[in-house]
Amino acid sequence: MGKARSNEDWLIELNASGDQQVEAIADLREILLRGSLYSLNHNLSGHTNHDQNEIVQLAEDCAQDALMAVLEHLHEFRGESKFTTWAYKFSINIALTAARRDWRKGVSLDQLQDDSEPFEWLSPEHQDTNNPDHSLLQQEVFETIRDTIRDELTERQRQVLKWMVFGEVPMDIVVQHLQTNRNTVYKMLHDARLKLKRKLLMQGYGAEEAMALFYTK
Amino acid sequence: MDKSKFQSWLLSILETQDEEISCSLCFDLVSEYVDLENEGKANGREWEPLRHHLNQCLACRQDYEVLRDLTRLDASEL
Repeated sequence: MGKARSNEDWLIELNASGDQQVEAIADLREILLRGSLYSLNHNLSGHTNHDQNEIVQLAEDCAQDALMAVLEHLHEFRGESKFTTWAYKFSINIALTAARRDWRKGVSLDQLQDDSEPFEWLSPEHQDTNNPDHSLLQQEVFETIRDTIRDELTERQRQVLKWMVFGEVPMDIVVQHLQTNRNTVYKMLHDARLKLKRKLLMQGYGAEEAMALFYTK
Repeated sequence: MDKSKFQSWLLSILETQDEEISCSLCFDLVSEYVDLENEGKANGREWEPLRHHLNQCLACRQDYEVLRDLTRLDASEL
């Protein structure tokens, strides 16, 4: 896979001109293709009907996008990691985003947008029916979660929580649907978790108590 | 939501920190973290915010796991 280069070599040659730059870009593209192909083979095959030719084609497209991203961000590389590790993360991120979007292709988030009550999302199968005391306390936890979701989350937090936690919709699909970015969606989920945590703590359910309640067989 | 997923979700709620790093910052840091981890040098407390984010964010965790596995594969093929 191309010639061995130090971080400094990569920066010099990618910023050079002529044949030296052409060769460095070709080697970088090969690395990015390896990253995107590895990502897709481990996350796309088996989930979909894609044959290997389609996966290779998608990997080529992702590698091209990653090449543009790496060159655009090249000035941000500080040498805190190997250059190849730094470059890989662009192709992996782009390829896995494509894979996650592909996985849910044809499934509209609108289909998951309904008016059901939060309590309906929590199945009663979690309750310990063999131990009435446990069952009552578990019920209290469920009710705290339900009431907090219903009364204290914003509509958008509630919707994102329902899609991602209960519907297992990948973040990238939600990001695409809401025309936003990962940071915003993560923040919405973080704020929702924080409200739920504070409410559970107020009810006396810290990690230890809740785990003791739900991790017993 | 099955029982094990509910347990994981409940744990993720209770482990929520007041401040958590963003996905962008995770992306910025993850390559350095992976290289250090591959050398057995990523145990420091300074990496706790990143590790916490990787525990809470499935998308970033998937990206991280592939990066870690691929770099280890490369190292094994040298």
